[in-house]
Amino acid sequence: MRIRNLVNEDASLISRRCWSDPAVYALEKRGIFGRSWLFLGHESQIRSPGDFVQAYMCETPIILARGLDGGIYATINSCTHRGLPVCRADYGNTKRFVCPYHNWSYTVEGNLVTIPQESELSHQPDKSKLGLKRVPRVESWRGLIFGSFDASIIALEDYLGDMRFYLDAFLDRFPSGIEFMGAPQRWMINANWKLPVENQLGDVNHGAFLHSAIIPREAQDTIEKLGYSVVTTPGHGATFRLMPADAPVDEVAWGMEGLGGIFGGEEVKNYLREVQAQASARVGALRARMKGLTYGIYPNLSFLWSNTSFKVSHPRGPGKVEYWSWAVVPADAPEHIKRVLRTNYSSFFGPAGILEQEDAEVWSQQFLGSNIDFADDRPYFYGLGLGEEKIHPEMPGLVSVTANEFYARHFFSRWRDDLLTVEDAL
Amino acid sequence: MSAQSLEITPDEQRRLERFYFYEARLLDNRQYRQWLGLLSQDVRYVMPARVNVQVPNRARGQEDMLSVERELEGADSMGCPHREENYTILTLRAERAYKINSWSEQPPARTRRIVGNIELLVSDGQQSSVCSNFLLYYSRPGSENVIYSGQRRDTLLSRPAGFLLAQREVVLDYATIELPTLGLLF
Repeated sequence: MRIRNLVNEDASLISRRCWSDPAVYALEKRGIFGRSWLFLGHESQIRSPGDFVQAYMCETPIILARGLDGGIYATINSCTHRGLPVCRADYGNTKRFVCPYHNWSYTVEGNLVTIPQESELSHQPDKSKLGLKRVPRVESWRGLIFGSFDASIIALEDYLGDMRFYLDAFLDRFPSGIEFMGAPQRWMINANWKLPVENQLGDVNHGAFLHSAIIPREAQDTIEKLGYSVVTTPGHGATFRLMPADAPVDEVAWGMEGLGGIFGGEEVKNYLREVQAQASARVGALRARMKGLTYGIYPNLSFLWSNTSFKVSHPRGPGKVEYWSWAVVPADAPEHIKRVLRTNYSSFFGPAGILEQEDAEVWSQQFLGSNIDFADDRPYFYGLGLGEEKIHPEMPGLVSVTANEFYARHFFSRWRDDLLTVEDAL
Repeated sequence: MSAQSLEITPDEQRRLERFYFYEARLLDNRQYRQWLGLLSQDVRYVMPARVNVQVPNRARGQEDMLSVERELEGADSMGCPHREENYTILTLRAERAYKINSWSEQPPARTRRIVGNIELLVSDGQQSSVCSNFLLYYSRPGSENVIYSGQRRDTLLSRPAGFLLAQREVVLDYATIELPTLGLLF
């Protein structure tokens, strides 16, 4: 197996082995998860010193914490003595993480402070060298916290690049930014991690078909008519509707077409109209007209603007995903309005989602199809719209209609190049 | 949730069982529209998320240390329950089942619900709080077979024709969801 045989030059043909081969997965760990910025959490989850939440970087468990100095710390959740996780709660606030096996204890920043056995011994180990392993790079932008195992990786803002323009269309719409609600919903799906990512990166096309039991055809027609797909950097992409400049506020405003707008009554509607009334001043006239659908940040973070949730596709081997998702709401919305708004995520997406139950099924079926024999001469066709993406005068990146699968070709070009780098080094 | 159930007559207990066994049979027989007929129009259907919580220091050694309630991110929390639904959303789920493109249930899953431990906790004759446990065997074509385990905390309204479900809180026994979907009618 050689990576250059799995993805062709223009990434219009993708081998089934990309999705199912354990050797490919081993290369992905080193070439992608060891060398990218990976999403860890949001600052709203760790507001006070001592606050912590759990996270993952690929299969490696991480503690994300607010240190006593107010800084953000990401450490590997594994005791330096025998490797057990020292943190078992999903979130909380603590002074110490204590290993259950021999009670080695660590500060929230990950420094080793107690080895109970050392008082009986003549020679004390150097505790300053035995703290939890720290993730070498941790940076945040607009409250979104990322970590990287690559100490020499470019700055997070440069890594996000022009995706910031599209992320800000949502994140900067709210004066106090956004807030993640509660613990992530965690759902094991028998799929390869890249398919949920691809789905959220730009696959608007499946909506009219896979979800036709729920999404009316007219809604899908509007999406196709007003919809754009954008790739800013290979692997990063956004899809959205650009509403006409004269569209009434109730058609443009975020949330109005969701369950908050439908069931929340006039109070919620007025809140959403108020947000939209400020949008032009906050994010400019063009971005105020954007009504987002799906976003993807390489390698495995997704933002579903239409149902306002952040999602991370954590691999658990080639054929299993631990899919995490959070409901996201404006931080300064009143609490009772936040509770109404979150239902537009949970009713449609997440483990109980009436739409995502179909997605999880096809993601699992795709893995089965990727793992069959005697079909390696039939790679998957990724050629729809090849070369049709263009530069746009007002919007950064390459821009096209949503039927163009260039978002996936760009993802797999970057994926191939990342894996070639580590494969060649073998 | 900590008091014993009310002392009721076998006939009263039988009336509750009759309702729950009928409901389970309708759902296993995929008669979801008839199931909707058991709901009050203003029904609230909630499934809290369940998390692995930190033990607060003051709770150590106390019964509250292991409290189930602290694990739940329910409707009143600022977390995110798995489901918070009204009659319209439940209707959407029921009607979806009869569309040929509800792909995750086509061909339909085979289910078998066992409902037990039915306890009447509070009642004023018109409105009753009832708690029950369930196991739901779920066999989806082309997928692994799984068992759902949980508790239902219901509010039933007593009507001449029988009970109506006014509120249901479904407490599932999972934090990480290793199940194909939580979108079933529990």
